[in-house]
Amino acid sequence: MLEKENKFSEQIQKTFHSAKIEIKRSKRISVQLRSDLIPPFLSYAKELLDFKHLSHMSCVDWLEDNELELVFILMNYDTSIQIIAKTRIERENAQFVSLKKFWPQLETYEREFHEMYGINFEGNDRLGEFILEDWNNKPPMLRDFDTRKYANETYYQRPGREDAQNVRETVSKHSGEEVPEFAKKYSIRNIDDE
Amino acid sequence: MDINWLKVLGLIITPIIAFFVGVTYGGLVRNITARIQNRFGPPVYQNFWDIIKLYSKKTSIHHGWMQHLGPVFAITASITSLYFIPVLRDSVLFSNLSFSGDLIFLIYMMVFGSLGMAMGIGQTGNPNSAIGVSRGLSMMVGYEIPFVLALVSIMIQFHTTSLNDLLAVQSKFTDWIIFQSPIAFITGILAFLGMMGYKPFDVPIAPAELASGPVSEFGGKYLALMQTSRSIFTFAKLVLFTDIFLGGAGDFGTLVVKTFLLYMIPVLTGIVNPRFRTEQAIRFFWKWPTALGIIAILIVVW
Amino acid sequence: MVTPNINEKDKLRIREIVENFARKHSLWVLAYGTGCGAIEIPPTMTSRYDAERFGIRGSATPRQADVLLITGYLSTKTLKRVIRTYEQMQAPKYVIGFGSCTINGGMYWDSYNTINALDRYLPVDVYINGCMPRPEAVIQGFIKLQNIIAEGKGNGAEKYQENLEWYRENQKKIIHNWQMPDYNW
Repeated sequence: MLEKENKFSEQIQKTFHSAKIEIKRSKRISVQLRSDLIPPFLSYAKELLDFKHLSHMSCVDWLEDNELELVFILMNYDTSIQIIAKTRIERENAQFVSLKKFWPQLETYEREFHEMYGINFEGNDRLGEFILEDWNNKPPMLRDFDTRKYANETYYQRPGREDAQNVRETVSKHSGEEVPEFAKKYSIRNIDDE
Repeated sequence: MDINWLKVLGLIITPIIAFFVGVTYGGLVRNITARIQNRFGPPVYQNFWDIIKLYSKKTSIHHGWMQHLGPVFAITASITSLYFIPVLRDSVLFSNLSFSGDLIFLIYMMVFGSLGMAMGIGQTGNPNSAIGVSRGLSMMVGYEIPFVLALVSIMIQFHTTSLNDLLAVQSKFTDWIIFQSPIAFITGILAFLGMMGYKPFDVPIAPAELASGPVSEFGGKYLALMQTSRSIFTFAKLVLFTDIFLGGAGDFGTLVVKTFLLYMIPVLTGIVNPRFRTEQAIRFFWKWPTALGIIAILIVVW
Repeated sequence: MVTPNINEKDKLRIREIVENFARKHSLWVLAYGTGCGAIEIPPTMTSRYDAERFGIRGSATPRQADVLLITGYLSTKTLKRVIRTYEQMQAPKYVIGFGSCTINGGMYWDSYNTINALDRYLPVDVYINGCMPRPEAVIQGFIKLQNIIAEGKGNGAEKYQENLEWYRENQKKIIHNWQMPDYNW
């Protein structure tokens, strides 16, 4: 049933010995690589296996492992199979090579990651101020940047009404159900409610 | 020199009447547009509130003394054009200042307002305004040619350049110039579509094009003066065409009916059409309307 | 600093009544959608929930507009441009805050880039709440603005001028790279 996916994954395993391949479901293959194998893998998938379409590039912050993970999603037009190529790079002073010669739209993605995660892409000379204006703090999408504290300090928060009710408790009293445990911590409003 | 006091009274009353009729027509047009689009529109007197609101703005921002003069040129040209058109046929009160060469003078005077505005706009220094002005003047080059050809063919046919003589020719219903020279009428109406500034020829002044084009730096009392001048000018052009082609009018009721029917031609065309670009509009004016104008002249000359 | 004299007392009471009547029946809204709430403006202005009955019309440039609609959240980048646009409009001018993000931050209250309370930076006349407000709510907000104007309380421009230091101090705390002239009218 999954013969096309099995065929592709055998071909990839023969060429890249250290790749960890997993077939998630029909039409989705996930390939985990070392960080220096991503440029050869992307050009191999694009030219030889006909995965010509780049759907997305994304970045995940693994704070506990002290690593950042880059994710590329490629697609094949004939069989509609997606390959998700993942790699981990280190978190402090993150460096990677710019792959915008393969797909030109990667330039925009790389500018976004430089601004939001602090990754430096060599070969891309348009890195710089992109979405945020005059931002001189940590890159804001990293998980150890405390957004709520920054917002409470910089921007004026309007105080609530004197007769303000807590929405979850009012609704739970009304309908007779309990507020679940994981939702209780979202009911705080200001930093002085904690 | 004895002054005909009745004529002076007419000179004072005519712009006021033109202002009221022009502004009411503007409100009526908004209402008609709304009904065609299946909604209710603003009340008919809406444009009066717009003009009063613009006059009562408390601050006025200008970029130099030339910007004050721009709308003044425009309204001077409108009122002067109005003065040389006999509004009612045989009335001393409203026959204004017509003289024997006034058709040729009117062809010049109607263009003068836009040129004066262009000087005022150049002072503001906004690039949107400069592009809007160049588009407006190019389109004026487009529609002036069929207009002048139509007028010239009528002038040759009746051997006169005075509006009063043309009114004297059309004394009966079957003597109207619309029946005597229909090709000149068609050419004139096609040029009239361009003069009124409704779609498909409203590239210079539409709000979606380059932030309103020429008037993008005018607010407050300058814009109020521009709107007043535009209303008066609309009325003047309508009365001009009524006098040339539809036999003038003896009293105000007939005048309102004739000008309103004539006004519906550009308005109803404008509601259902999209907009031409500048070069498409100029190409349109230089093809069929010009050809019809030349045919009209040739018919008359032979 | 040059201040235009817009604080002249109107001597005749009848003149004020006529002018306010004209102002409230012809409100020109600047065609500038600052946030995601601007998607509710086209249905309000077109055939079904016709706002032109009240004289409300779109206007292309700030020099000709009366009302500035802040529709939705304002990031710091947009706030700088909105302040400059607001100062280019001619008095009397009104600001309407649209949606919950202008009132207390809405769903972006803990974001690093959006401001939370709009009337610390611009003088606001009417707030319309909702996320997004429906066209009926928008029209009700405009009627409330008309009532405010008819009573003679629509003087946001004068309030801005009198408390200019307070507004500027709040704005400069947010916008670090202040490159505008100190007054702009």
